Amino acid sequence: MLKLFEREQLNLAKLPEAQTAIEVRDLCLRFGDKHVLHNITMRIPKNRITALIGQSGCGKSTLISCFNRMNDLIDNSVTDGEIIIDGRNINRKKENLSILRSQVGMVFQRPNPFPMSIYDNVCYGLRLQGIKQRRQLDDAVERALIEAALWDEVKDRLFESATTLSGGQQQRLVIARALALKPSILLLDEPTSALDPLTTLIIEELMAELKKRCTIVIVTHNMQQASRVSDYTAFLHQGELVEYSDSDTLFTLPEKKQTEDYITGRYG
Amino acid sequence: MGKWSPRQFLSNRQQQSYVISLGAFCAGLLVVALACVLMLITIRGLDYFWPRPVQSIQFELPDGTAKQVYAQINERHINSAVESGSEPAFVFRYSDSQHPYGRSLLVEANAVQAISEAHQAADILLHNGTRVFSEPLSIRLPDGQSGELAQYDEVRDTVSAIREQIETVRKERLASVHRELASLDLRQVEKDAPARLRLYADFERWQQEVLRLEAQLADYQLVTRFNNGSEFLIPLDDIDRLSYPGQLDWFGKLGIVGAGVVAFLTDAPKQANTAGGVFPALFGTVLMIFVMTILVTPFGVLAAVYLHEYAPDNHLTSVIRICVSNMAGVPSIVYGVFGLGFFVYLVGGNIDELFFSDALPAPTMGTPGVFWASLTMAILTLPVVIVATEEGLRRVPEGLKSGSYALGATKFETIWHTVLPMASPGIMTGVILAIARAAGEVAPLMLVGAVKFAPNLPFDGEFPYLHLDRQFMHLGVLIYDGAFHSQTDVRSASLMFASCLLLLVVVFVLNVLAVILRRRLRKRYLRGY
Repeated sequence: MLKLFEREQLNLAKLPEAQTAIEVRDLCLRFGDKHVLHNITMRIPKNRITALIGQSGCGKSTLISCFNRMNDLIDNSVTDGEIIIDGRNINRKKENLSILRSQVGMVFQRPNPFPMSIYDNVCYGLRLQGIKQRRQLDDAVERALIEAALWDEVKDRLFESATTLSGGQQQRLVIARALALKPSILLLDEPTSALDPLTTLIIEELMAELKKRCTIVIVTHNMQQASRVSDYTAFLHQGELVEYSDSDTLFTLPEKKQTEDYITGRYG
Repeated sequence: MGKWSPRQFLSNRQQQSYVISLGAFCAGLLVVALACVLMLITIRGLDYFWPRPVQSIQFELPDGTAKQVYAQINERHINSAVESGSEPAFVFRYSDSQHPYGRSLLVEANAVQAISEAHQAADILLHNGTRVFSEPLSIRLPDGQSGELAQYDEVRDTVSAIREQIETVRKERLASVHRELASLDLRQVEKDAPARLRLYADFERWQQEVLRLEAQLADYQLVTRFNNGSEFLIPLDDIDRLSYPGQLDWFGKLGIVGAGVVAFLTDAPKQANTAGGVFPALFGTVLMIFVMTILVTPFGVLAAVYLHEYAPDNHLTSVIRICVSNMAGVPSIVYGVFGLGFFVYLVGGNIDELFFSDALPAPTMGTPGVFWASLTMAILTLPVVIVATEEGLRRVPEGLKSGSYALGATKFETIWHTVLPMASPGIMTGVILAIARAAGEVAPLMLVGAVKFAPNLPFDGEFPYLHLDRQFMHLGVLIYDGAFHSQTDVRSASLMFASCLLLLVVVFVLNVLAVILRRRLRKRYLRGY
């Protein structure tokens, strides 16, 4: 009877390659002289939700940005170590960032729809890939919006400006925009911190639905959220990976003292 | 006792209210000054179009001869310090048998014996821009016949029909003969070749036709009488407009104003820019501004995008930024000299040597022209566009750019699809400022292509239609020129004011267009941000 409520457990340390979405090996990152990430090694399982938690400034947003190399945009960032997605090290020099970023979608803290129509927003990535046929775009837009649970609300106003949508709708639009590219991994950087509780709930339900299609990595400050939605949780402290295990264990029986202090709210 | 300070006897609220009043006073003063400028320009400008009554004036010349003339009084009782101490005097323009086409005169008030309205006298505007004030009596028709004044409109129609016939012959027949002759010349066909002789014969025939028609035209004349009784004949073909200002009611006057405004906007200047219209100047101004805008916008936007998005954040970049800002403060005449020395002489001269060497020593591009003027103004307004565009780029949220990158866009794609559309209102602000600045400049333009009188428009029916190498007329230059005309001839002075008013209207209209465009862009790209 108890088994029904138990989640299936994977051995994270010995995760087979077929079940690994992202493998991080000895990842170090610094901005100029400031070291932000130290020797991070972890395997993120496929089709699961993995949460990154930790204090502000512990490097969790930086870590998630490594997975689609958004840190490249920061002038003096230096990355060492390997990140293996789809069997290749994405930190290599000749990695095609356009292809990588269409495989690894990202959603930010503040909803950032482009100042165009809802339709054009969803098409943005597809058009960049050179897809121009109306039929193809129409289908992709419908599919992405349905997947993001936004279709019913916007199907009659696809050509209105995206900035007229509410905050929660905008965030789902941004998710749809990423989904239109059929990514295998979706990175969510505090996706609900600018939203009200009800909208947060909608997004969380959406995530549970989406993990059937892709691997989700989420950064969050909200401990309840992490324990609610995620299958696995990693706790970072001052640029180091302190503890990484399935969420139930981490939130109920943490191994390390630091983790316990953090999740019980003694600091952070 | 401490130092004197307002705190001693004013409450906080009082202090504040004094500061507010002072500020409001300054702002009010500004509004009043602006209103004064606009009112002066508008009143003096519209004065040019308002019909003035024709008066019958009896006066004595300094040498003792008495005169009785029809005249339009320009100013009464002005203090003419130059000619007669501080005695009041009249300035008027009159016509008589000695000066049928008008003469401006300043006469002391005590030399004027009588002034009365002359309802029967007409203000006759001729095609060449001069005016005749006289009393129409009858119409002289061909074969010595005489017609009534009532037939005037009917006869005018006949006359314009003949005039049209002449123009048709000129345009369709003579011009084509000229073209063919020119092409024969170009192919160096012999002087007595049959084709050439046939063309000569054609030319002779059509020339005769024109002469015959013109002789016919000359037979239609308006018989008029000056105030002293002498008769004066005016060929009907020369008359542009005939009106009796003394007999007009308000609607009639407004009609005259309307016709005057239309003529002002569509005619070429006459009588050395003291009469007629300003169409070439209006056209030149607008063309120059358009070409300048087309040149400066992409250039300025590219420079701003580079400075803001690509340039490394170091000393060199900040030095460039400071230079750009300082460029806006360089006196405009410096740009004029630069345009003349660099674009006209150096660049234009070299283009001539390379591409138009057959035409040398006559310059083709190595001479001031509308293109060089536009280019000079583009350089002059470049800093404005760069600064405004950078301001617009700064307002694009970082989150949007990250969003674009995260969807796989490259830096260029991000700038093209996301950053530039959002910065477009800022770019439009820069363009508005550039237009306002360029429309008002005179000094640099006079060095690089604007002239007081240009025989041809920079646009005509000959290939390549738009002749950007030609010199052009500019409203600002026309105004500058107008300020040096006779002070006693108020009509030409008010032509200057009318041009000034038109320049204001042009700048206003262009600005309104740009503001509407900017508002649409804002609505489209910045709503919700």
